Amino acid sequence: MIARITPPAWTRWVLPGIAAAILLGYPLVFGTVYTNIFIHFAIFAVFAASLNMLVSYTGLLSFGHALFFGGGAYATALALENIPGMGLFPAIFTGGLAGAAFALIVSPLLNRVRDTAFALLTLALGQLAYMACIKLRDITHGEDGVGGFPIPDLSIPGVVSVSMVPAQNFYYLAIVILGICLLLMWFLTKTPFGSIMIGIRDNPQRVDFLGFNIPLTKCLIFTLSGFFAGIAGSVYALFNNLVTPDGVFHIMTSFTPIMMVYVGGIGTFAGPIAGSGLMTIIEEIATRYTTQLVLFNGILLVLVVMFFRTGFVGLYLLLKQKLFEKESSR
Amino acid sequence: MIFKHRKVLYRVTFVLSVAAVFMLGPLGGTAPGADSSFDPAAMSDMSDFDPNNFQQPEGDTIKLGYLQIMSGAAAGNGELFWPVVTWVAHDINKRGGIMVDGKKKKIEILKGDTQGKPAAARKETERLCLEENVDLLWGTSGSHTAKAIADVAEEYKVPFLNCLSLSDELMNEKNFNRYTFRTLSNTTQWNMALSYYFSKRPETKFSILCQDYMYGHAMADAFKKYLNKYKPEAEIVSEDYHKLWLKDFAPYMTKIMAANPDILYTADWLPDGDNLINQARSMGVNLPIANIYITNPDTLASVGVEGTRNMIFCYSWMSGDTPQTKAQKKLMKEWHEQWKTWEAPYDSLLYIWPDFVVGQTISDTYWLFDVIQRTGTLDPEKIIKVWEDDVYKAIQGVRTMRAADHQAVFDMYVGEATYPTREVYEGAPYSEGYAGVHKVIKIPQKYCTPPVPEGLKDRVE
Repeated sequence: MIARITPPAWTRWVLPGIAAAILLGYPLVFGTVYTNIFIHFAIFAVFAASLNMLVSYTGLLSFGHALFFGGGAYATALALENIPGMGLFPAIFTGGLAGAAFALIVSPLLNRVRDTAFALLTLALGQLAYMACIKLRDITHGEDGVGGFPIPDLSIPGVVSVSMVPAQNFYYLAIVILGICLLLMWFLTKTPFGSIMIGIRDNPQRVDFLGFNIPLTKCLIFTLSGFFAGIAGSVYALFNNLVTPDGVFHIMTSFTPIMMVYVGGIGTFAGPIAGSGLMTIIEEIATRYTTQLVLFNGILLVLVVMFFRTGFVGLYLLLKQKLFEKESSR
Repeated sequence: MIFKHRKVLYRVTFVLSVAAVFMLGPLGGTAPGADSSFDPAAMSDMSDFDPNNFQQPEGDTIKLGYLQIMSGAAAGNGELFWPVVTWVAHDINKRGGIMVDGKKKKIEILKGDTQGKPAAARKETERLCLEENVDLLWGTSGSHTAKAIADVAEEYKVPFLNCLSLSDELMNEKNFNRYTFRTLSNTTQWNMALSYYFSKRPETKFSILCQDYMYGHAMADAFKKYLNKYKPEAEIVSEDYHKLWLKDFAPYMTKIMAANPDILYTADWLPDGDNLINQARSMGVNLPIANIYITNPDTLASVGVEGTRNMIFCYSWMSGDTPQTKAQKKLMKEWHEQWKTWEAPYDSLLYIWPDFVVGQTISDTYWLFDVIQRTGTLDPEKIIKVWEDDVYKAIQGVRTMRAADHQAVFDMYVGEATYPTREVYEGAPYSEGYAGVHKVIKIPQKYCTPPVPEGLKDRVE
């Protein structure tokens, strides 16, 4: 029999409190370089979490998620470049809408296929977007990308106006926006809609028999996933002040969140966040000693798939179970 | 007896000394009209130089951030310029370093991998500036990544030597920043020189094949513009742009064959330029290729004498088998002798001579440290002040750093490949098994000086 050790009630508030304090003080303690690394991690955590909605919750493996991320990034960059006086939040929302719009456009196609065909079709769509972005030079500036666009201040008319160019200021904006996105995605998984997503993954026929419109539901999931990926792309654009086809539409941009989901732990909400954190750390350390980062990532993925299929969150849960739950005989 | 004529002896000695200063000064010191010169006599004994084992100095050093592509398809670029920066650093370090802020400091080189991607370049530059506290930045292949570095250089006020990215746009009124200095010819200079050269030749039909990004388009646009100016009767019979780091050039070659040009013009750099010529020759496209970066002897050797004959090279540094100056000849000899002792990867033909971009960047790196030496401090504002309007007698010719747009101006060189080539010095033929540059033609500055961007003309009074 397993006897659960219940942690004291105050610990529920202590850990989030400590986390909030760390997040608030982080840029002041660690400086610009590590602040930028954290922003990069947060952007990819949201991007990977948006893919996780498809992979873990709905059972749809997408090899072309960069389509939505890049769509959001380019929408924000082009909007800021071409619309004088555009505000910060409208620019970010434009990115989200663009991601959602791309998802909505391709969903009729994606609804017609599943499994391997689905994965390959997403791959093809992602590559199509990549090549289109390179070739539509008049709009996207080709391989050079869109850069040097104005970064709007965070302003509340008559109250405050804060420049978003300093890394520390941008950090607070990024963690708020990305934190809200993660909360919304988490909340979504706890709603009845989240249960339908899992139902589609596990037994689509049964969900169909229950009277739910599966194509329409999938379409909605794509759109929501695209929206959050678009927001991540939008923050990426603002963060780098530059978007390029290689940076946001490249096939590796699609594979990166897949790896984060698998390494972090597929089937869990925290998995992609942990995966993003872990891979960011590996990247930061590995690139200081070697130029063979891809080799490192490849080995890591092989190890996870072979020996830790539940990823690092699964490993953590296993350790937690060993430490906090003790077996006792009746 | 000698004491009797002491006064006469003093007078003769004085007169001879004055005469010696006037006569020998220009050889060892500063050239007439130049603020400073490269002094080949001052170069250290480089017999212990090995790019595989560069000895990083310790203690209080001048930190140079070396930003290049070190991973991915174009990682060869990062490898190519490592001997360049380490050569110069080794030479200066052996002389004891440079006097800055009252202390002799040696040069330490810290690597940053741009991956050929602007976002990665930005991140690496930030790391070098903020974590490693580099004093100077050096780079880089790819105008789009150079732009990202220049932005960070400006943000953190670190002087950036751009000796590898050509796009005019990098230094126009929109993108100019005070901390970036470009010592390499820009797209306009390069194409003015080449177009002027073609105005003296019989060919009239040209095909253009360039990389599909800022630099490739800028090169092609400038070529069309100046070809039209210097040779209005010339015709562009095909024009294409391919993706960066393309593996399959076959569709483009088919189109070029159909267009039947006299010359194929390309501005491709590694690895595209090498893949282009290999595939062109294997598909039977045996046109003369007018180019800037298809200078890798390994590649040229692989396509052989017939594949390389009549190729036309244009660059801001060129020696071929006829070095232009004594300093150039000395550098080529010293480098070539050392090359024979290097191990992989630096034992390949790619490193056989410090020619074209390698020679150019060696010269530019010496110029950077010459400026630092004359500034006497690493204060970026003072470095800017010294470098603006600086006239430097470099290893190959005089270079002037225009204060208005921080663009160096100088003579350009064009050469045609022939076979056999001459010996650069006794017992050292320039090329074997492939056609190399022979008879380098100088295109004087007046034919290839680009205009100062409109918005920058009044920047410096």
